[in-house]
Amino acid sequence: MTNFFIGMFLSTLITAMLTTRLYRLIAWYAVNSLFLALAAMSEAVRIQDEAMLISALLTLVLKSALIPYLLKHFAVKFQAERNITPSIKVQYLIILIPAILVFTFYLIDPIIAGAAKNYISLAIASLFLSLVLMIEHRNVFAKVIGFLSLENALFLLAMTATEGMPMLIELGIFVDLLMAVVILNLLFKKEASHV
Amino acid sequence: MFEALFLPPLAILLLSFLDIAKIKRFLPIVSAAIFIPVLFLFASDHILYYHDLIAVDKLAKFVLLVSSVVSIGVTLALESLEKHVAIDAKDYKRFYRFFALFWIGMIISVAANSMGIFWVGLELATLSTVYMIKTNKSAFAHHEAWNYMIVGTIAIALILFGIILIYAAAKPAIGEEAMLFSALGAHIHQIRNSYLFEIGFAFVAVGSFVKMGFFPMNLWLANIERAAYYPVAALFSGLLESAIMVGFFRFAHIAKKLNESHLIGFTYIYALLTLFIVAFLIYRAKDFMRLFSLSGVEHMVLIAIFWVSGGYFAALLHFAAHAFLKPALFISTGVLESKGKYHIAGALRGYKGVKGTLFFILVGFFMLAIIGLPPSPIFFSEIFGFGAMVEMAKASHHLLLMFGAIAFMLLLLAVIFYKFVEVYQSMKYEGSEEPKEVYASEMSALALFAIALLALLVSFDYIEHIV
Amino acid sequence: MIAYILWIAVMVLTAPLFLSLIKMIKMWLLFKKPLSPLQGYRDFSKLLSKEVLISQEASAITHIAPYMVLAPLVVVLFLLPPPSAKSFFISFTDAFTLTGLVALSSFFLMLLGLDSASSFGGIGSSREAFISALVEPAMILVIFALSLMAKNLGVAQATINLAHHFPIEHLASFAFAGIAFFILLIAENGRIPVDNPETHLELTMVHEAMILDISGWYLALVESAAAIKFMIFASLFVSFFMPFGMDAPFLVALLIFLLKVAFVAILVALIEVNTAKLRLFKVPNLLGLAIIFAFLSLISYYILGA
Repeated sequence: MTNFFIGMFLSTLITAMLTTRLYRLIAWYAVNSLFLALAAMSEAVRIQDEAMLISALLTLVLKSALIPYLLKHFAVKFQAERNITPSIKVQYLIILIPAILVFTFYLIDPIIAGAAKNYISLAIASLFLSLVLMIEHRNVFAKVIGFLSLENALFLLAMTATEGMPMLIELGIFVDLLMAVVILNLLFKKEASHV
Repeated sequence: MFEALFLPPLAILLLSFLDIAKIKRFLPIVSAAIFIPVLFLFASDHILYYHDLIAVDKLAKFVLLVSSVVSIGVTLALESLEKHVAIDAKDYKRFYRFFALFWIGMIISVAANSMGIFWVGLELATLSTVYMIKTNKSAFAHHEAWNYMIVGTIAIALILFGIILIYAAAKPAIGEEAMLFSALGAHIHQIRNSYLFEIGFAFVAVGSFVKMGFFPMNLWLANIERAAYYPVAALFSGLLESAIMVGFFRFAHIAKKLNESHLIGFTYIYALLTLFIVAFLIYRAKDFMRLFSLSGVEHMVLIAIFWVSGGYFAALLHFAAHAFLKPALFISTGVLESKGKYHIAGALRGYKGVKGTLFFILVGFFMLAIIGLPPSPIFFSEIFGFGAMVEMAKASHHLLLMFGAIAFMLLLLAVIFYKFVEVYQSMKYEGSEEPKEVYASEMSALALFAIALLALLVSFDYIEHIV
Repeated sequence: MIAYILWIAVMVLTAPLFLSLIKMIKMWLLFKKPLSPLQGYRDFSKLLSKEVLISQEASAITHIAPYMVLAPLVVVLFLLPPPSAKSFFISFTDAFTLTGLVALSSFFLMLLGLDSASSFGGIGSSREAFISALVEPAMILVIFALSLMAKNLGVAQATINLAHHFPIEHLASFAFAGIAFFILLIAENGRIPVDNPETHLELTMVHEAMILDISGWYLALVESAAAIKFMIFASLFVSFFMPFGMDAPFLVALLIFLLKVAFVAILVALIEVNTAKLRLFKVPNLLGLAIIFAFLSLISYYILGA
């Protein structure tokens, strides 16, 4: 089942890349995090790791509900530009995205076979896709969404590649702190530009 | 004794809530207090703290000493910040506060033995820098603070990605200890999945390179340092880049045991591309800030390449010398640019009195030292470093290719050398004489850096035995 | 043999029913008075009694094209995966044959639009060409990926293999293929995010613009071709992505099959109610997504085996 959830994780990320509306982008991010949390849960059940279950629940609450809600709230409050046409044209994206996928799939090829091999390649692919998502938008909110997806890719890698890290929960919390600061920064910026 | 390292920054953090105008002349004394724990650490043989999460080995001790000197120098120079730029009291306090946080993050990441702790310290330092940039109220600084936030966090995220990959590669062989640099270094040959380790290392290296302004992100650092107040640039080149460089040292040291030729190929290609672009960007630079920060990128390239070529002594010497010289130069830009940003011609003329003369002599000395004129430590480190590169080339299977790369690098360094000499001549002999004000606080900082440089010249023996 | 003929006959006869069903559900959800599900048949009989009027600029193409629009689709009907595993005829057609026949039908539809020399026909044909150029690669990729997963290049045999042994380990690739195919289903049948079958507004229409100039028997042919096309795509969708109930006795299997198609029709209706039509130049975004997912499905099966 983890397979399926991670597949859906990747597909929502790709859909988000082709989105041209801000609110829909935020919604896709929420769905993306939801599938990440589901994948983490099914993996945690498989290897019976309670710590991972907790972080999956945190992901579910924070990333698929709270943060999208806050972002939407800020976007409404500061009247952000809602039309966010990507600066990379869709015909190039159609070539670029499969190219990235094929590249990462073959990049992982020499690794000694193991269950985690596919997951690592998918995590690297979603890292690159999030980078493209950040690059293709000029809008600050969209860039923040790109950064948050990048963080999701990190979580995916940490979850699948290492079968639960001891340090990871700690690191994850710090990353969450980082995200919070990103969002706060957004707030500050708008505050300053209004003055 | 390790915990005592955090006391001076914490004290500054707390004191910054008081009336900064009255107490700021005591803050350099507070930050100088960090010498006590550092010297105690030098004396003790105790390396590992907190279940091996912290390791104050020789490298960490050396870097901590260097960074303490830089921090004290910056604290000294901060005292006269309001005389050179317009900054209100609230932002001034904020600057001190985030400087203290930055310092804490930097100490954590330098002394970390766990990759996770290293990353956390780096992240703390990065985030606090954003706020230091934002103390400048201009629209440009605002934009650049955002830029820094985005690019800096991408770089940091890449580093974490690499760390997780490395951990994933090493965990089957080493177990939970795979997070520790010491365990990784000791058991590196047991790793079966060395390809995964190398991918992880590549991510870490690319993340650090982005953070240090290597190809293809050559200009973002220069823009940020241009936008922020000058002490930010000094902290950046003296402390943050040192912390990242130490991380690179540790990771590269492990990667070298695993597959040396991959590491060398990777770093050389990166370094050549970066030097190629940076040399011509320096040639086109029109103001001091960009000139110095691009030259910082150049020196980071040299340090990285000396380290991977096996010239550990040269790399560390270069590292320390650059960490002293570049903050000194950045602090002096506060005076040099007091008549406008693009006033290179005549910038070194028109100084009166004892302080003025001393300033003029010291800045001239720093300008010529940074491009490696003897007896600057950079001269020796470049000699030894290129020596190590040639040794490495002779031992490699691609002799001509390596010699070609080294010769090309020397050519690019010559371009930079030419530009600096030209700038120096223009500063000294062209333009008109305009009176400029020099304050005691920045003079003392410059003097401190000059003394530290001289001390470096007599401590070759010690540096040689660090690695 | 009789079962096979019966199945084809049921498919042809029920095809208008499902389009009317979609319309009915939509009207019901929009609080309008829903029309009867038999409206499709009423329209058909009404058109039969009307006179065929043809523009005087039109050439012989207009007389041939309506038949040629319908004929390839009818051929495809015969080659589709059967509803029951114990079918009389299990065809061996692959992705290229299916896509090619569907493309042949749209080719004649485009010719029909161009032939009347009205400006709307030209607009419609060019838009149709634009959309189907994007649809075809995705469709070939999807069907290939599915055939590979089911270990048989023949579409019909592949679905039977799927029914007997569902590849749960390839669920991710399967899901990608499903998303891609559903987008294709919507795009190729001119449903709402891509084309609105109910308006005659020159800014938006694609399919309607091409058949604006024909009437009577010819229009009836083209309309039933549209219904059959929906039937083809829906039946491919259900036999690939809902492969169950194929081992039941024939009549039960047929009933299950029709229920599954009705489910797809309801799904399409729900999507139509909830989305706005895309601007024409946003359509590549949607179809690009389909291409990416189709490709992703193929490579993630092929390289990752997931």
